[in-house]
Amino acid sequence: MSQFMDSLLSTVSGFSQAALVTLQLTIVSLIIASFIGLIVALMKLSNTKPLNWIANIYIGIIRGTPLIVQIMWLYFGITQIVVLSAFWAGSIALAIHSGAYIAEIFRGAIQSIDKGQMEAAESLGMTKRQAMFRIIFPQAFKRSIPPLGNQFIIGLKDSSLVAFIGITEIFNLSMSQAAATFRQLEFYTIAGVYYLILVVIFTIIVNKIEKRLDTGRA
Amino acid sequence: MIKVKNLHKYFKDLHVLKGIDLEVKSNEVVVMIGASGSGKSTLLRCLNFLEMKDKGEIWFEDKEIDPDKVKLNKVREDIGMVFQHFNLFPHKTVIENIIEAPTIVRKIPKEEATAKGMELLEKVGLADKAQVYPEKLSGGQKQRVAIARALAMNPRVMLFDEPTSALDPELVGEVLQVMKQLAEDGMTMVVVTHEMGFAREVADRVVFLESGVIAEENTPEEFFTNPQNEKAKQFLRNVL
Repeated sequence: MSQFMDSLLSTVSGFSQAALVTLQLTIVSLIIASFIGLIVALMKLSNTKPLNWIANIYIGIIRGTPLIVQIMWLYFGITQIVVLSAFWAGSIALAIHSGAYIAEIFRGAIQSIDKGQMEAAESLGMTKRQAMFRIIFPQAFKRSIPPLGNQFIIGLKDSSLVAFIGITEIFNLSMSQAAATFRQLEFYTIAGVYYLILVVIFTIIVNKIEKRLDTGRA
Repeated sequence: MIKVKNLHKYFKDLHVLKGIDLEVKSNEVVVMIGASGSGKSTLLRCLNFLEMKDKGEIWFEDKEIDPDKVKLNKVREDIGMVFQHFNLFPHKTVIENIIEAPTIVRKIPKEEATAKGMELLEKVGLADKAQVYPEKLSGGQKQRVAIARALAMNPRVMLFDEPTSALDPELVGEVLQVMKQLAEDGMTMVVVTHEMGFAREVADRVVFLESGVIAEENTPEEFFTNPQNEKAKQFLRNVL
């Protein structure tokens, strides 16, 4: 135990650096993923059939294949066409992956809003677009916060898979430390501790946002 | 004000409206009654194109409304609607609900819209609830806010789709009172309701629908004391 604590403390600076990279990967990828999710959700809800098809094919492929395959495929695919750092290739791969799940969250939230809301807005002379932006989206966004928070935590943990394209984030560092010292259990435990801390912080933030948005409104 | 000619509406294979002819004049209160499934709500919703007609003509102020040629949102600006389930915007306060359309659709300055909105709230007896969210209101209060919200657009005609059907019995009166006041002020109204007392007292004309056709159209006095149509007689026996 004391040896574990020694290892934990002696690697703080290295793992803090790596945790920062994990955090950057997560935040960048989730911001892009949220944009993808919103656009794909609207495509799925649109009355234009080809847009539905594109959205369904995208979601189908992403949900139907493992993330690690997507990361490898995008990394070796994208970097053949454009010059891209591993960080950006990884971020984009993670964003494309989470985007599919976030699209489904947004779509579900939008569809869960009573259709009387749209009818009331339209009966007052609002256009579909005005009704969407002013009446439907604000309510849907609030409803999507809990599942979105959940998806963000999954995204944070999924970022560990970009270790395999050589980004020095938490898991990548623990792999190399484990290999160098042969103290595998120790360094994978340390990795777990760092992820746990990050997830707890995320959870607190999500809960705060949920509470704030809940004041006096249905 | 509103003219409907040979209106047909289908839901898939179900023929809901089978050739409706109806005219509503300015300042007139027309009450539509009939059993559930008779098509009265569908007819009302066709008037502001929440349901699209399949055949026939709908005229509003001497112009035929062709949904392919005119912007429906423009038409709806002048047609207020009150729903059975209120459909207030839960993320907005009472006053925000009321000024939403005037400010966004009519581009009226917020201060002006708020002043007008407060006047309307005064009229429906809810000025003290302006800053409250809808979830804090009773059903009757919600419906009065919904009426004020529709009135805020200065509509030429008001449509009511069973405005008291979702209310507890003791809350029906306050909503009917507001509607009665509105009728006395000369508002043109088309009302779908099961409130026979209201129909008898306030309506200028009663339209009885049965299986998608207008089976009887009469003054309330004649309709309630001496109905001509066999189905109407039976309906009145059941509800009175």
